[in-house]
Amino acid sequence: MASREVIQYETPLSKAFRWFSAVFLAFYVVWTVLPLFIMFMSSFKDLLEAFKIPAVGDWAGVTVFFDFTPTTKHYYELFAHLGFSTYLFNSLVAAGGSALVSVILGSMCAYSLSRIDFKGKGDLFFWIISTRMAPVVAVMVPLYWIFRQLDLVGTLPGLILAYTTFNLPFAIWILKGFFDNVPYAIEEAQMVDGATRFQALRAILPLVAPGIGAFIVLCILFAWNDYLFAAIIGSGGAKTLPAATRELVQPQNIQWGQIMAAGVVTTLPMMFLGLVIRKYLVTGLTMGAVKE
Amino acid sequence: MAKVSFRNVWKKYGDMPAVKDLNIECPDGSFLSVLGPSGCGKSSTMRMVAGLEHITSGQILFDERPINDLAPKDRDVAMVFENYALYPHKSVYENMANPLKLRGQDSSVIKERVTAAAKLLEINHLLERRPQELSGGQKQRVAIGRAIVREPNLFLFDEPIAHLDAKLRAHMRGEIKHLQRTLGTTMIYVTHDQLEAMSMADTIAVMHDGELQQLGTPREVYNHPVNAWVAGFVGEPAMNFVDVGVEDRAGRTHFIHKNFAVPVTEEQQRRVSGGSRESTLRMGVRPDALSIAMTKPSESCIAGKIFVTELLGGDMIVDVDLDDCRIRVKTSTEFSGEEGQTCYMTVNTNKWHAFSKGNGKAFF
Repeated sequence: MASREVIQYETPLSKAFRWFSAVFLAFYVVWTVLPLFIMFMSSFKDLLEAFKIPAVGDWAGVTVFFDFTPTTKHYYELFAHLGFSTYLFNSLVAAGGSALVSVILGSMCAYSLSRIDFKGKGDLFFWIISTRMAPVVAVMVPLYWIFRQLDLVGTLPGLILAYTTFNLPFAIWILKGFFDNVPYAIEEAQMVDGATRFQALRAILPLVAPGIGAFIVLCILFAWNDYLFAAIIGSGGAKTLPAATRELVQPQNIQWGQIMAAGVVTTLPMMFLGLVIRKYLVTGLTMGAVKE
Repeated sequence: MAKVSFRNVWKKYGDMPAVKDLNIECPDGSFLSVLGPSGCGKSSTMRMVAGLEHITSGQILFDERPINDLAPKDRDVAMVFENYALYPHKSVYENMANPLKLRGQDSSVIKERVTAAAKLLEINHLLERRPQELSGGQKQRVAIGRAIVREPNLFLFDEPIAHLDAKLRAHMRGEIKHLQRTLGTTMIYVTHDQLEAMSMADTIAVMHDGELQQLGTPREVYNHPVNAWVAGFVGEPAMNFVDVGVEDRAGRTHFIHKNFAVPVTEEQQRRVSGGSRESTLRMGVRPDALSIAMTKPSESCIAGKIFVTELLGGDMIVDVDLDDCRIRVKTSTEFSGEEGQTCYMTVNTNKWHAFSKGNGKAFF
């Protein structure tokens, strides 16, 4: 097999560009990682220590940043007195629930759109994604009214429904592309082997796992990081982490330590999710299935 | 095992007919090969039998039982796909076990059957592998293995060895034929390769443009093609066609061409003369029904100029230019003619053919 790389020859320009990109990437890494790092460190600091900042230009003073006695009192406060375990649970259920419902309904819908031809399919497909074109804020008021009538405001099912409304079109769009890439022959072989259509669909799901994995991440991230729905539809009975964190900004004082700790609590599960889901995001799973 | 009958079967995609009024009887335990070029409707035919396409009109019957409205899983057929269609996320063992598992067999039975099938196909050392770790020939064996683990009514093979290299293909031809004889299961085998059909099938159904051209044994199809299209499609190298005039000379019909005048036999004369006789027709002669020499053997030989000679190991193919066409002759490697020289060919008149210029139907 020939090399898969496009060969390149060194020129002064490409050399300069390489240097430039290295510098750029270095800055970029600092830019993205530093805030997370400061958040993580500050969550273990007492308020006084957290605000010890060296003077401008005093590079040696950076050590001040690392000079503190670690404390877990902010975390203790969050979970022992402020009920963050409930909010964490609410966040998990709302994000996970809407992801689950969207995956189940979305994969069935995407499969149908991928495999069956019917009149108006193109229009229907466009209509499905067009529901995502309006900004969420634009539909918030009517949505709130509808949810009020159905007694769904301030409940977890209500929140799951709200997230699903916005995740489902997205799921259908992503998954249809993945189903389109699965050769018909695999399902046909399943059906000749003795499977029903539904069993055949289930059998090819592992082949769209990268799509499902990618979608689950996006879907959970949307719900997990959402503040608007959480504040309006989830308010009260179904408070999630972002909404609860917002409440730490009180009129008298801002609970910086607790906010940093809440930030860590909110961020860590998503990082963990990223690590877990990574292995499902490999492409090329259908390689070797059929002769192209 | 089952007898398969096609009764006036049509398949239309929109208004486009893909299969036109197909009638075939395939006896229980026989090996039927559906032969034709791509787009002739052979794959549609097979997919209708498998239940992967609706039958537009007509009936397909297994043992006199219409199966038009049965789902694939209820037809109890086993199919090998052209592209193998293995399940990429499953091991070879799981691939082969799938049809049994779906039919709710015990795991001990599954193990026994899969192992037996793997042994028969000599892939028992590959059972733990995934399809992407297999070579083309091995994948194809796995696909066959998945078909033979159960005892279906019918095997459907859709160009299963088209993607293998020439040597492996020759090997698999023998194996598949042997397998079908051993298992005794009715087999429908779709191919565009006339050599596969000729060498394996009990019966060949030659299709063209959605229509069945000829149904017969390989010998019948090769020696007595019903029309010029079948004659040209079956046989390698292909049959030579030369437009000739028909004239009676001294009480015997001759085929007349600028380069030759050859008398036909009495039987052939009767056939050509029957009905409305055409003044010109197409003469068809296979390369191996011609003999070639550098000296003129008789008056009724065909004179031509050698265009090129091709040595094929044990045989030699000589392309000869006539005045208005070029024909190919199969001869032995001893032939010593050089390009550009004049040569003389003699037709074995027991083995030539004549076709109508209009509808292509064979006179003999």
